[in-house]
Amino acid sequence: MEALRPRKDNEEVKMTGKTASLPPVPTASGQPLESRAPTPWELRQIEAAPKSKSRAAADRVICALPLFMAAIVLIQYKLTPNLADAATTNIYTGFILLMAFLVLVKFIRSIFSKKSFENLLEKAPLYTAGFLLSALYDYATLKTGILPLPYFPWPDRILNGIYEDRVLLLDCIKNSLILLFSGYFAGAATGLLTGLSAGLSRRVRYWILPMIQILGPIPSTTWLPIILIVAASLFGGSVFLIALGVWYPVTMTSMQGVLNIPKANFEAASILGASKLRLLFGVALPAAMPNIFQGLTQGMSVACTALMVAEMMGVESGLGWYINWQRGWAEFAKMYGAVIVICVTFSVVNFILNFIKRRVLRWQEGQWN
Amino acid sequence: MTTPAGHISIKNVTKIFARTDLNSTLVALEGVNMEVRPAEFISIVGTSGCGKSTLLRIIAGLETATFGQAYCDGEPISGTNPKRGLVFQEHSLFPWLSVRDNIAFGLRAAGSYKSGAKLVEGLISIVGLSEFADSYPHQLSGGMRQRVSLVRALVVRPDVLLLDEPLGALDSFTRMNIQDELLKLWNEHKNTMILITHDVDEAIYLSQRIYIMSPRPGRIAREIPLRMSYPRNRGSSEFVGVRNEILRRLDFAKEEQEEYNL
Repeated sequence: MEALRPRKDNEEVKMTGKTASLPPVPTASGQPLESRAPTPWELRQIEAAPKSKSRAAADRVICALPLFMAAIVLIQYKLTPNLADAATTNIYTGFILLMAFLVLVKFIRSIFSKKSFENLLEKAPLYTAGFLLSALYDYATLKTGILPLPYFPWPDRILNGIYEDRVLLLDCIKNSLILLFSGYFAGAATGLLTGLSAGLSRRVRYWILPMIQILGPIPSTTWLPIILIVAASLFGGSVFLIALGVWYPVTMTSMQGVLNIPKANFEAASILGASKLRLLFGVALPAAMPNIFQGLTQGMSVACTALMVAEMMGVESGLGWYINWQRGWAEFAKMYGAVIVICVTFSVVNFILNFIKRRVLRWQEGQWN
Repeated sequence: MTTPAGHISIKNVTKIFARTDLNSTLVALEGVNMEVRPAEFISIVGTSGCGKSTLLRIIAGLETATFGQAYCDGEPISGTNPKRGLVFQEHSLFPWLSVRDNIAFGLRAAGSYKSGAKLVEGLISIVGLSEFADSYPHQLSGGMRQRVSLVRALVVRPDVLLLDEPLGALDSFTRMNIQDELLKLWNEHKNTMILITHDVDEAIYLSQRIYIMSPRPGRIAREIPLRMSYPRNRGSSEFVGVRNEILRRLDFAKEEQEEYNL
């Protein structure tokens, strides 16, 4: 603890005129770091004010809170009486147990590693709120019927809906992703091509800019009724629709990205003997990458919207079609289930996109620390 | 051995810039003549705005002269060429490339990275950046960045190295260090060096000849040969004598102009 105090002792060292040898830097585990410089995380530990005993105990309780709440969810689900003639299964129990188990793994790791402890300490209130919400919802539907059927099915019913249709849902996910990425990549590739060339060449910009100004403000889904009639295949038409929605933001941002590149970068490259092709792919493209990724992220959200609309309006497969089809049967539990599946699918897609972005833009100053 | 390359010859070069916003033109250089022999180290000194950077950019091939012509080894200069390397004042490293990849850029452009990979590593260690080979430019200090710029320009073995105030933004200790490295590299590579600087000491410490430019329009006011041997002692009476002479001549150039204006 001594070494964790802010170092006022440095002044003493100077006063007494001793040769300045700094005390060894302590790590979180108390071992000196020797000659190695501390990592950012270790540095935060060294510089942080020490915690009081009561504070440390309170932190442990906060970490355990999600587990308590999960227990309450299960007790509430199992022991309080259901509405009359409401059948329940153990799928909800299994789901809650699975979630509680994942938290438990984190909790056990937090006992041994200070890093995972801090991570859990930060996330624990959120997890607790998640369990609390599902308990409240279960209480309001299954136990009391404050939120009535058929509009508000209880969690167990929704999970059962997903479970029953799991094969069909997996197929829908597959079809949706194929459509999404076909359109997304087509749109992103054309967007990159037009955006980069418009940024580099005044003549291309002259023709592209008015196109962007006219087409840009039209939401791509506006074209759907026309495409449904004109397109030879619904799939092809939907790919075009999604691609159009992605094309616009990617073109805009990559053009802006190229226009923002300092002239010195191009000059330095051409002095080093870079060919036109290398100026495009070795300088313009990487230098514009931060902007391009803005467009790619924006484009992904546009693409997801266009996908849902296309599937609800015409395409006869995919998650959008599934949710609309279940509406026809008034299967509310399955509609809610589809919403959850859509949420998970798009979250995963965005997570992957973000991961790629972080890798590619590693070189950016202070962006990811 | 082939005849040494890197002869620069400037014949009566005038450069006029258009200032479209003011609908007027500005004469940046007027009737500049200059001869630089292969493997010679010369400096161009002058106050800011005297057109010395413009002159260097014409030699690099980034600007074309309005009148007159610049030649490299007898060929008229048109467009850039890896034979004539340029080190900018600052902020010209590619921020998306690591130190190693920045340095290797010229080799990759020439398609000779495989054969030159050893050269890259060698140059990295000469300037003491082995530990930072995988770092990105924003993680380096200003001095390190300029070392990388220097080495990046040298890796393609240019006959002529143009230095546009490469040390202008650095503190004086770093400057002195890099000045010594510059001399070392010049000795090894034997290329023509043309340095632009506003630091008279730097010019005397490094070069065999100094051109003094006067501003508006940019003209060569004086040419001063230096015959001191390397390495030079910044405190020697000879060094100080030359410095006083140059400063006097810079002042003299100003007096002359003032008289003329009267």
